[in-house]
Amino acid sequence: MADPRAPLWGVFAVTTGVGALAGFFGIGGGALLVPVLVLVFSFEQHLAQGTSLFALVPPVGLLAFLNYWHAGEVDWKVGLLLMPGVFLGGILGSRWAQWLSARHMRHVFAALLFILGAWQALSSWVH
Amino acid sequence: MWVGVILLGLGVGILVGLMGIGGGVVLVPALVHLVGMDQHLAQGTTLFLLLPPLGLGALIVYWKKGNVDLRAGLTCAAGFLFGGYFGSLVALRVSSNDLHGMFGVFLMFFALLLWPKGRQPQATRKANG
Repeated sequence: MADPRAPLWGVFAVTTGVGALAGFFGIGGGALLVPVLVLVFSFEQHLAQGTSLFALVPPVGLLAFLNYWHAGEVDWKVGLLLMPGVFLGGILGSRWAQWLSARHMRHVFAALLFILGAWQALSSWVH
Repeated sequence: MWVGVILLGLGVGILVGLMGIGGGVVLVPALVHLVGMDQHLAQGTTLFLLLPPLGLGALIVYWKKGNVDLRAGLTCAAGFLFGGYFGSLVALRVSSNDLHGMFGVFLMFFALLLWPKGRQPQATRKANG
């Protein structure tokens, strides 16, 4: 499974950069970590996803969160209300994933994200 | 409103389980467009709600199959902790409108990153019976 010669300093340097992107956009970062481990460090897909889930168990967004908190940019109520749903939905979704074509789902999801992203960029800068 | 937010969490969670993604990528635009939050507030709230290990249930499944690299995982966690600190400092100095647009560009980039993964030939499980 694990490659004992994994270049840890390289992993640290690259994930610090990816973490900066995650903090900038206020996302967890797991979505970015998986492709980085696969494309840059040649991890097998399942090992990358498991390692990413493990890396996200400690509160890695803590320092970024504290910065937003000091700036008064946290809605506690909405955040707390979303937690149980995301947790339970995650369990439901991972079970449903076994009944659906992963390839088809990814393409629909990627297409939706692309359209949403294009719309956001246009609505912000083109008037 | 609160019932709507709880249902939104459930919907996002289902996507997380289906796609094997963190959730922040979907949560930030959902909070902006469905709850009507400002871009900075949506990002801060997402970082807050992702503090507990919501992916722990899924991790256990991967762990049992030996698909976890402990050393690399810990190194990634350290990188994310420090990287996130500096990234968020920069983000808070950018106007909410510009950040909203940049997030849009990021979503398009992420969508392209997600696409080829689905093109790899992989056995899809079919329902039995």
